[in-house]
Amino acid sequence: MKIVVAGKGGVGKTTVSGTLARALAQEGHRVLALDADANPMLGISLGVGPEETDVLVSVRQGLEDGDSEHEPTIEGFVDRFGTDAPDGVRLVVASRIDKFDPG
Amino acid sequence: MSERGAIRVAVAGKGGAGKSTVAGTLARVLARRGHSVLALDSDTLPGLALSLGATAPAEPPLLAAAQQGDDGRWRLKKGIGPMRAIERYSVQAPDGVRLLQVGKHTDDGLKPVMGAVNAFYKVIHRLDEPSSLDRWAIVGDLPAGPRQLAYDWAPYADRLLLVVEPTWQSMLTARRIARIAGTPRPLALSLVVNKASSPAGVSQVETFLGMSALAVVPADDAVARAEHSGAAPFDAAPGSPAVSAIERLADALGSGSLTA
Repeated sequence: MKIVVAGKGGVGKTTVSGTLARALAQEGHRVLALDADANPMLGISLGVGPEETDVLVSVRQGLEDGDSEHEPTIEGFVDRFGTDAPDGVRLVVASRIDKFDPG
Repeated sequence: MSERGAIRVAVAGKGGAGKSTVAGTLARVLARRGHSVLALDSDTLPGLALSLGATAPAEPPLLAAAQQGDDGRWRLKKGIGPMRAIERYSVQAPDGVRLLQVGKHTDDGLKPVMGAVNAFYKVIHRLDEPSSLDRWAIVGDLPAGPRQLAYDWAPYADRLLLVVEPTWQSMLTARRIARIAGTPRPLALSLVVNKASSPAGVSQVETFLGMSALAVVPADDAVARAEHSGAAPFDAAPGSPAVSAIERLADALGSGSLTA
């Protein structure tokens, strides 16, 4: 199953997503938790820890900092940029805005 | 404070922290005290109108202010400067507050309202031009998270109010915003702890961010009920602990005792 969670700020998207991911993992599913918020916090609800969540390397940052060769496969992305969360959930953070960048 | 001496603040924080509640109530408090107030909502999921007690237009009024050149770039139409844009395309909120909104995004996303988005961005970058605005207070409500500060969406502000509730998500968001704020121009930071339910929660936020709170707004059922019913807290919950705390925030901002 593939689920997207959406809603207004503060209603509990991250709490629902993180808890759902953990519950599915405990039932034996392999779970990929994808944080597509530019202000990513899903790690906290998954149990990775607040300060740890705040410094997770995002896919965007990883690609900008690393070699220019892109990963050819989705599995490669998940391996390279993912983080292990409790119950075997694999967490991938898409991007995080952390500098002034007028475009 | 700005050289003008007028209050120029933008309000930022995590989603649900209470940015619109603080911004809308602060704007109403200032207006009730006799200030001319321009309220700015740069969120395409707008919430400030509700907190002000204004009616939001269905279509972004600023669409009419923009035109797209042959090069594809958006401009303000000829003859429309910042003052005229405010006169024509803002809506009236209670107590004489003028509300200028970027406008709602549509079911087809932002594309149909890109003219309004561009017009709004140009107007807020030219608010220092009309001398008739010099004495106006400006209160801007930013969308959740650090994104708009990274893209220079609060150029009118000389002070950023970080609205933080005592949760880790809210504190981390505020820290991310604080790291970006101040580029490319100086921006004083003030902490507003919202939905405070214990002194320990307030201390935790203050310690984490390394700032003392300029205002502590308590968790308040009267405000929650107002927001549940879609009414402005300033109208539906006058004298409530939260609204009173925002009145004290207005005192602190206008007292001249702030150091940048």
